[in-house]
Amino acid sequence: MSAEAPEQDSGGERIGSYVYGILRSGQRIPEDLEAVDTGSESGESGLGLVSSGPLAAVISDVAVDRPLGTRQHLLAHERVLNAIAADAAVLPMRFGAVLTDDDAVRAELLDPHREYFSRALEDMAELVQFSLRGDYEQDVVLTRIVEENPSIRDLRERISGMDEDASYYDRVKLGEAVSQAMDAIRAADAQAVVDALGRYAVATVVKEVSGETGAVHVAFLIRRDHRTDFERAVDDLGDEWSGRVDLRLFGPTACFDFLPEYDVPDGDTQPGAAGDGG
Amino acid sequence: MTVSQRQGGGVQKAPQGGLAEVLDLILDKGLVIDAFVKVSLVGIELITIDARIVVASVDTYLRFAEATNRLDLHAKGGKDLGEFMGGLTENTMKGGAKGKTKGVLDAGKEKWDELRDERRSSRKQEQ
Repeated sequence: MSAEAPEQDSGGERIGSYVYGILRSGQRIPEDLEAVDTGSESGESGLGLVSSGPLAAVISDVAVDRPLGTRQHLLAHERVLNAIAADAAVLPMRFGAVLTDDDAVRAELLDPHREYFSRALEDMAELVQFSLRGDYEQDVVLTRIVEENPSIRDLRERISGMDEDASYYDRVKLGEAVSQAMDAIRAADAQAVVDALGRYAVATVVKEVSGETGAVHVAFLIRRDHRTDFERAVDDLGDEWSGRVDLRLFGPTACFDFLPEYDVPDGDTQPGAAGDGG
Repeated sequence: MTVSQRQGGGVQKAPQGGLAEVLDLILDKGLVIDAFVKVSLVGIELITIDARIVVASVDTYLRFAEATNRLDLHAKGGKDLGEFMGGLTENTMKGGAKGKTKGVLDAGKEKWDELRDERRSSRKQEQ
């Protein structure tokens, strides 16, 4: 296992401290949140707070000798952070952050970077993230594409008389043309989302859509006291796009997409203990 | 967690999405631990499902082509597929059935042994 990581003896099993995120010390976190599955008998199963000065890290015990990344692990990481973010500022760690023990969380994570974390928490105190995702109603968007593009219409008509093998290249061509037309519609729709909702947000990030019929994916940084206005505007857009784009709004979440960039430690030294767990 | 499809108005709201939505945030974003910690970092192997579909692929094109060919434009005054349909009953049959089930998760199971380099390079936010 990790060459430079000090051995920790917990009845023969090695237990590490899984870090979810960082918040101000003294802040309470919701009870009954499900932690990332410990994967061990000897580790404690609940969430804990490791505090040092003005900061605290949300942690749980995790066995270090098995891979992370099951559905339970992933969802637990996000749920814990979102539950905290609903009421308090929290800086989310990327999934999979594990230190050898709680002392290391204090001595190597919280204390050396106190200034950065404190400043970031202050800046994010009144902010939450929302993510708006939308999918096209496939037949509706395809119909529009066919109607607006004579070349696609012609290709489609030619293919429909041919058998599958003979039309292979034409079908690829048709699909590619449809895909490009959809990209153009996506770009326009992303802009429409930003135009309609950007004024309620402190910051906006247009993200890549996922899925073939993905329409829009935009992350918003929203002040807590502007939530209602923002959500109302989202509903209005949903009404406007009804039947064409199926919109879903996720949040409030921790501000994953909007973490401050100042003073980020540059991490240029290659950590010897990284990534050799397999 | 799961949000159901809903036609006609309204936006579904949930504190968080399903696995696909979650992955996008917690694997790509968030503070990267090894930017802060050097000595006591425990490198645990990450096994994840990559939920992101590569949009521009031949398979995608073929699916788009199939879906486009299936469209019934008749009602909107476009040319009716029927006039090309001579003996193609078989195609029509298989048309409607699969319909709209489009999984976002394309079950591309992938093992990410080593994300550190990628993490480091993408640590700064993309706009």
